[in-house]
Amino acid sequence: MSVVPARVRTRRPTGSIVLAVYAVGVLVYLFLPIITIVAFSFNDPTSKFNLEWKGFTLDNWADPFAKGQLLDAMLYSLWIALWASVVATIIGGFVALALSRYRFRGGAFVNLFLVLPLTTPEVVLGASLLNFFVFADTPFLERGFRTILISHILFCVSFVSMTVKARVRGFDWTLEDAAMDLGAPPLRVFYKVTFPLIIPGILAAALLSFALSIDDYIITTMVSPVGGEPTFPLYIAGAFQREISPQINVLATMVLLVSVTLMAAGPVIGLLRRPKAATAP
Amino acid sequence: MNRQRVRTVQQAINRRQFLGRGAMFGGAVMLSPALLAACGSDDDDKPGSSSTSAGRSSTGDLLVSNWPLYIDPTEDGVTGSIDLFKEASGIDVTYNEDYNDNNEFFAKIQPDLAAGNAIEPDIIAPTFWLVARLISLGWLDKLPLDLIPNAANLVSSLQKPSWDPTGEYSLPWQSGMTGIAYNIDVTGRELDSVDDLFDPAFKGKIGMLTEMRDTLGLTLLSVGKDPNTITFDDAADAFDKLEKAKNDGQIRQFTGNDYQDDLIAGNFAACVAWSGDVAQLALDTPSLRFVIPDEGGMQWSDCMVIPKGADSIVEAAKFMDYVYDPVNAARIAAYVGYNSPVAGVQDELRASDDPAVAALADSALMFPDDATLGRLKVFKSLSDDEEAQFDERFSSITTG
Amino acid sequence: MARGGEDRNQRKGTWQPYAMLAPGMLWLLLFFLVPMLILLRYALSEPTDRFSGKYELTFRFANFTDAIGDFGSQFLRSFAYAGIATVLCIVLGYPLAYFIATKGGRYKNLLLGLVVVPFFTSYLVRTIAWTTIMGDNGPLLAISDGLSLTGLLDALKITTNGGMLQTQTAVIGGLTYNFLPFMVLPIYVSLEKIDLRLLDAAKDLYSTPRRAFWKVIFPLSLPGVFAGTLLTFIPASGDFVNAQFLGGPNQQMIGNVIQNQFFKLNDFATAAALSFVLMFIITVAVLVYARLFGTDELSV
Repeated sequence: MSVVPARVRTRRPTGSIVLAVYAVGVLVYLFLPIITIVAFSFNDPTSKFNLEWKGFTLDNWADPFAKGQLLDAMLYSLWIALWASVVATIIGGFVALALSRYRFRGGAFVNLFLVLPLTTPEVVLGASLLNFFVFADTPFLERGFRTILISHILFCVSFVSMTVKARVRGFDWTLEDAAMDLGAPPLRVFYKVTFPLIIPGILAAALLSFALSIDDYIITTMVSPVGGEPTFPLYIAGAFQREISPQINVLATMVLLVSVTLMAAGPVIGLLRRPKAATAP
Repeated sequence: MNRQRVRTVQQAINRRQFLGRGAMFGGAVMLSPALLAACGSDDDDKPGSSSTSAGRSSTGDLLVSNWPLYIDPTEDGVTGSIDLFKEASGIDVTYNEDYNDNNEFFAKIQPDLAAGNAIEPDIIAPTFWLVARLISLGWLDKLPLDLIPNAANLVSSLQKPSWDPTGEYSLPWQSGMTGIAYNIDVTGRELDSVDDLFDPAFKGKIGMLTEMRDTLGLTLLSVGKDPNTITFDDAADAFDKLEKAKNDGQIRQFTGNDYQDDLIAGNFAACVAWSGDVAQLALDTPSLRFVIPDEGGMQWSDCMVIPKGADSIVEAAKFMDYVYDPVNAARIAAYVGYNSPVAGVQDELRASDDPAVAALADSALMFPDDATLGRLKVFKSLSDDEEAQFDERFSSITTG
Repeated sequence: MARGGEDRNQRKGTWQPYAMLAPGMLWLLLFFLVPMLILLRYALSEPTDRFSGKYELTFRFANFTDAIGDFGSQFLRSFAYAGIATVLCIVLGYPLAYFIATKGGRYKNLLLGLVVVPFFTSYLVRTIAWTTIMGDNGPLLAISDGLSLTGLLDALKITTNGGMLQTQTAVIGGLTYNFLPFMVLPIYVSLEKIDLRLLDAAKDLYSTPRRAFWKVIFPLSLPGVFAGTLLTFIPASGDFVNAQFLGGPNQQMIGNVIQNQFFKLNDFATAAALSFVLMFIITVAVLVYARLFGTDELSV
């Protein structure tokens, strides 16, 4: 990868310091609300709204699932995000593979079609889906789990294909031919050549879909029914109207901790595997 | 005394002690003959069957969509009304507090009801004017009043009301008053007029409700118009007044129930508010006050109705019957602080041998005297065309 | 750029590419194109009466002109807010991405992680946290009061009457915050691809560091800025969450208006027309922008 020559670093110390301070400043800005969220998970609010600092307590952490519906909403969101990311990654991944692997008529059209949902504001996407489900008026498309899932898959598919496409761009697909010429059976070629190549892109796309799905509010609020199970964002929006409990902050902090742990685990696993990889070439 | 202010601290003590006695009330409920009968008949219904009296549908469970903070919850070791009802009836109730805004709720249920499909909830609680619209659209089922003997406890002033002239479609859940809430720590003075909301001293610290009939209603009163007989042309002054306040930055936000956050956080010095909410909030934030302004206030009712095609009619009836029992109604009223539509609630409270509970019977907020009632107005029932004009003008102000 | 090379490596497909495209394309066709056509139908319809939810297709093109006429100011405001937020994202995000790409060293992944971590918490929870931070009794105003800065901030229109929540500042700040990573990541990716020894070469040719950056690095990173701009501007101009939680009645955006037409006024026709006008303006803006600065790289 890119190598930063020592000279560049040493020659402009003031510029570097200014840049570093600025970068740290931006990171602090990014973390302001996060610090607030974590801090307020230890708040002891006197009213139903956990918006003002009243005092320190560990009670919220002792009883993180006191609000049963909050946990249900979280699990529901996880469930939807799991399905949405799996389906979107499969069908979006195939679109990306087809686009980067083959030359065929209509490729440009497919590319344009993929970009359109990305350039459509969420409120318009939600509106069109709502109208569609209302217009279709069939029991299968009655607003609920299925309509939420369909919508989430829709806005994830384009993201998936774009991400995977970007990752495999420039890959020499004739390598597969070479492998086959050397007598490898197609399945083995896929497993040994194609799969390792696309897997980082696939994983990145799946993670992105998961994140987009679990956090979506605008589209979900439009395609979900009255009296239905709320997703986590819908629950939060509703809670804003009646009661912002510190348990929301506790759960948000937990999610944060799990994500950070997973992220930290990535490099650690990488480190563990490195010696093996080094022997490969 | 003409103006009712919440005597907060005292009421705080009252409510807490009252809630502490919830268990005793619950015990009393279990023994009430009407309910024993109800339980008895319940044993005959197998869950999932769709039978019973007069062939009405029944599923064994019940879904209620109501406004937030509108019933006593189970907390601090005290069992709330929903759990008490579950225990008493064996019906699996899901009680959602997802009714935040009349127009929004209507927009969400409209596609299904227009297409002739049932919606999930078996009971919803629209405000009176929306009840009238739902009746005229034919989107409500008649209440099985023969299964709700306690419906006879409905106070006489709300029987066969203007929005439901035959009284067959709706039973009021709670009635309430719209007035002004303020945080004395922020205002630094008592308020008593709608025009206080337009006082430049509170610029950017004023909240108004997205419910047009509340916000516009008070503004109409402040310009000397009667909301009960208003026409669109006559309302121009009030709309202009609101629009000017919006443009000047006088109004900080138009909100739904979430005005409560801003009031507590001190972002609002004063706002248009509902009587019971403030009573509840003042328990924890004693600097909050509620007043019916000198110009008058608005009066309204949120009503239980059964949307067309609901599949748990029998369970819905049992729930309505339960909350119309004065003992249960008293428990709910004491928590929510609104005006209970059930006759006998005041006596039920007064009869309590706990003086703190008995004192609630004299709460001017829960049982307004005739002088106060005389100053309250009900917003006119608008025709569809009028409604369109009013809504459009109002929303051009709220989403300027 | 790499198009030609990519093409040479591609295979000639017969049925295989179409088979692989089929599920994805079918999904987009059924749940994007068809709903869009239905939305278009609503945009050209009139309600038969106000509350029954029935519409008649009358090809009423005036829906579009009415939408622009009645809500022109909200359109302008939305694009202004989104534009300012996008510029702020570049101003904040570019140096951060540059710092990570050039000075990150072995902490690169950690630093990138720090950019992404805040966004593992819910969008709404984060936005509600901002209401606490910017509230009238919140820490931000307490600090500015403590430093006697509030008068200055008022003069600069950053605060209004000493308040920050429910002002332009709050809404634009919220938009900037919520879309910042969509700017940082693509810029970082494009900077990462640049061989920084180019800077060295420039220096050897007696270029000043500043000149070397603007002549060499910045142009090469433009694809990232381009992608980041689209990923920020498009969602920001259609957003209604920030204006709803952080804004007041004078800061409502076109997303709020569309939401309001659907969910308060039950006017599907106007809401649909507004949606199409919004999409049309965004598409034109994107095309113009792509013509001026564009590459074909849209994705991260």
